[in-house]
Amino acid sequence: MGYGLLAPSLFGMVTFLLLPMLVVLWLSVHRWDLLGPITYVGLDNWGSVLTDPSFATSLLVTVLFIAIVVPTQSVLGLIAAAMLAPGLPGSGFFRTLYVLPWICAPLAIGVLWRWILAPTDGAVSTLLGHRIEWLTDPHLALPVVSAVTIWTNVGYVTLFFLAGILAIPSEIHDAARTDGANAWQRFRRITLPMLRPTLFFVLVTGVISAAQVFDTVYALTGGGPQGRTDLIAHRIYAEAFGAAAVGRAAVMAAVLFVLLVGVTIVQHLYFSRRITYDVV
Amino acid sequence: MTSFSRIVTAPVIYACLVAGALMTLAPLALGLMTSFTSANQFNTQAPLSWPNPPTLENYSGLADAGFGRALAVTALMTAVILVGQLTFSVLAAYAFARLEFPGRNALFWVYLATLMVPATVTVVPLYLMMAQAGLRNTFWALVLPFMFGSPYAVFLLREYFRGIPADLIKAARIDGANTLDVLVHIVIPASKPILVTLALITVVSQWNSFMWPLVITSGGKWEVLTVATAGLQSRYNAQWTLVMAATTVAIVPLIALFVALGRHIVRSIVVTGLK
Amino acid sequence: MRLWPRVSTLVAMALALTMAVLLMAAVLLDRPAETHGRTVVTVRLWDEQVAAAYRESFKEFSRLHPDIDVRVNVVAYASYFDSLRTDAAGGSADDIFWLSNAYFAGYADSGRLMDVAKVLGPNASAGWEQSVVDQFTRNGVLWAVPQLTDAGIAVYFNADLVDAAGVGLEQLVTMRWSPGDVDTLRPLLARLTADADGRHADEPGFDPQRVRQWGYNAANDLQGIYLNYIGSAGGKFSDGDRFAFDNPGAVAAFDYLVRLINVDHVAPPASDTNSNGDFSRNQFLQGKMALFQSGTYNLAAIAEQAQFRWGVVAMPVGPVGRVSVTNGIAAAGNSATKHPDAVRQVLAWMGSTLGNQYLGSGGAAIPAVIDAQRAYFDFWARRGVDVKPFFSVLDGPHIPAPGGPGFPAGYQALRPYFDEMFLGRADIAHTLGDAQAAANAAAER
Repeated sequence: MGYGLLAPSLFGMVTFLLLPMLVVLWLSVHRWDLLGPITYVGLDNWGSVLTDPSFATSLLVTVLFIAIVVPTQSVLGLIAAAMLAPGLPGSGFFRTLYVLPWICAPLAIGVLWRWILAPTDGAVSTLLGHRIEWLTDPHLALPVVSAVTIWTNVGYVTLFFLAGILAIPSEIHDAARTDGANAWQRFRRITLPMLRPTLFFVLVTGVISAAQVFDTVYALTGGGPQGRTDLIAHRIYAEAFGAAAVGRAAVMAAVLFVLLVGVTIVQHLYFSRRITYDVV
Repeated sequence: MTSFSRIVTAPVIYACLVAGALMTLAPLALGLMTSFTSANQFNTQAPLSWPNPPTLENYSGLADAGFGRALAVTALMTAVILVGQLTFSVLAAYAFARLEFPGRNALFWVYLATLMVPATVTVVPLYLMMAQAGLRNTFWALVLPFMFGSPYAVFLLREYFRGIPADLIKAARIDGANTLDVLVHIVIPASKPILVTLALITVVSQWNSFMWPLVITSGGKWEVLTVATAGLQSRYNAQWTLVMAATTVAIVPLIALFVALGRHIVRSIVVTGLK
Repeated sequence: MRLWPRVSTLVAMALALTMAVLLMAAVLLDRPAETHGRTVVTVRLWDEQVAAAYRESFKEFSRLHPDIDVRVNVVAYASYFDSLRTDAAGGSADDIFWLSNAYFAGYADSGRLMDVAKVLGPNASAGWEQSVVDQFTRNGVLWAVPQLTDAGIAVYFNADLVDAAGVGLEQLVTMRWSPGDVDTLRPLLARLTADADGRHADEPGFDPQRVRQWGYNAANDLQGIYLNYIGSAGGKFSDGDRFAFDNPGAVAAFDYLVRLINVDHVAPPASDTNSNGDFSRNQFLQGKMALFQSGTYNLAAIAEQAQFRWGVVAMPVGPVGRVSVTNGIAAAGNSATKHPDAVRQVLAWMGSTLGNQYLGSGGAAIPAVIDAQRAYFDFWARRGVDVKPFFSVLDGPHIPAPGGPGFPAGYQALRPYFDEMFLGRADIAHTLGDAQAAANAAAER
């Protein structure tokens, strides 16, 4: 009976999640240009990808991107949550409003910002009166793509921090207040530490989702000036369907997988030692 | 907070909140405004001039470009995946939560493990599998990988189901209920919040899905909204009024859903996140 | 209590029914439009204007062959070859599809195309433009039916803007560029470029940030711009299937072009043109660009949309003369088609005078079938447009269009280098060397 109920989702899981992992490994030792036959090439792809400077650039760019996006969106989300926590009239409206960008398709958001940032006829250029090459300047491209991602995510992150803040029992705050602590001290000594589980969650999911950003890059820069915005997900796509080197793309996907699993494990170990659950 | 410090900081807080709201809305509003501007006006006057008169020509241009079909395909794909994913995940979660069978725990660990498989990594192998199966550029390719349930949903539902009192179910069984009855009359009604949550998450993520449809479909037949928007943008590059109409069409349905169900969505996001 | 099983069974049935309805809707969406038992042959291309001509042509074809219905499928150029490749790989490519010289080798080598001689007979190529036949012959086999030839590259000019700048026609006709001394092109373009205050690029106080009118469309444009400059400077771009643009002629050509954009500011910034192939054309159509160097593939659009007086002159002379690229487009039969016989008939039609002349009679493109080319010349002669410059340039030497099975990967690899170069941020000689190495390495894979 149990297996009967399980059958469809089991089928789905094995066929569309487990099997692809094996296929990735298999593909990584083959060569396929989408048109010709699939031929075995041993470790050639692994060698060529791991020594390919454009792959190294892509990884570096992805790491930089994550390093900019995740902390920034977390801090901004925390600030917004702190603003919303007192529950001033209208907070519910603002809270819902901030999530709007996250609800929209990242691809559509990317295309929207592409217009806004366009040097010719774009919103920003028109407002400023002169043109800035937001998306083609090698120094600006990655920060700009990061900014768009942050803009999209802050409202979403805010919700988690807000829930976390509101979950802190008010007795603790009351006790601290009677002890003479002011708002800032209470924030630092009580709120922040008790937000650790939320912070952990926000950071881990933030890293995993930032590492897979594709739509935004596709819409805004297509990999950017000199590969400066060639995030790893985009690199995999370009390698498989642009350069038609599917085996190499499989190698990159495998590397990404290993890195993400590693990140999850490391963050788990790091945080599980420091999470406090109940203070009282 | 004492009422005094509340009065002092309240304006500050409001200032920040309003600033945040402006930053959130401005880009969306500008895009919307541009979508109602005629191409002629956009090219001859300043790009940010108020549409005078506002026009629907960009939207009818979209209809010519096949957006009507893209809308239909996207809606249908989302509906199929929604029904399939919820149904099969509920069944699986119930099996894990309440039924005994050999290998149950081990199998559940496998489910958990697949949670770590990032979507990006599956795109290329799934493409190969679909290509070999001759399913490229079909509706089935769009929905099959997702409609059989999701480990994430199974995980969440199982947690929830375990919280349902076992006595309730036992009593029902004594009364002669089979598994289907238990599900329909006890489990599902008790899980409405989480089911709504999962439904919303599924709708949002499938409606906005881009990479997989981009890779597995081509041409106008099975284009979803995101792919159609990207195609329009590259084909009509610099015809910004038309492109903005496309982004608006891609965005508006979910925003409408959000406006209608905002509170539920917000609660859903938080509930799932904190598990 | 006895009602219980019925309710839950009802629910389950309702769910199953919903799913069935949805899936039926999916099947309905899948069905192609009415076919009435006829065979449907699909033809894929990227040019909207030529597609309209094809539709006319195929209407006539279906009148003569009532059992075959031909559908035209237009895919935007930007994604045409990427999606064609993935479609072909998945077995869902159209029955007939356009190929250009740059991209066809991979398909030919992997057996995806029909052998034209086998399908249409060994003498089929007799009536076709030889240069296009040669372009699509690989390893001694002709792999596609020539459809149109682009002729050479020339310069469209906005007569209103040219007159307003006080530039005479004789100056346009004698445009000459050179890395050294005898360079009449650069000063001419400066005269034709104006900023928002009306100052020309050769006057003091010219503000390159606020240009209202561009002189020229120098840009990262393979067919329209740089291939011709390379040829006119005595350099080369490719050598058979390999990239070979690291040579003095190419360096001189790119150097000149990059300076026009970034030093003289007579052409739009590369940040606009690198990623948008239509940017310059749109500027020209909006009356914001004086000279627009391009091919016959833009003629119909300009004739239709330009709201100013315009004309065509030969492209500028370079250090070794005027050397243009010429490109042909051919329609290939998909060797995996389910209707080989119907496809054969459609291909025969497309390669015949009758079928091919539709492309010319609306002025959309120059037919590759020699006897059908009259229609094209007649059309434009009637409109008073002199298309000779596109052809007279072919009397001289040509520079071959690049191709080869590794071209897509190689081109993708060199793009970032070229983008940087045109943005004026890289040393030309250095960049060409690196780009060539990267492109050839990617092509090998």
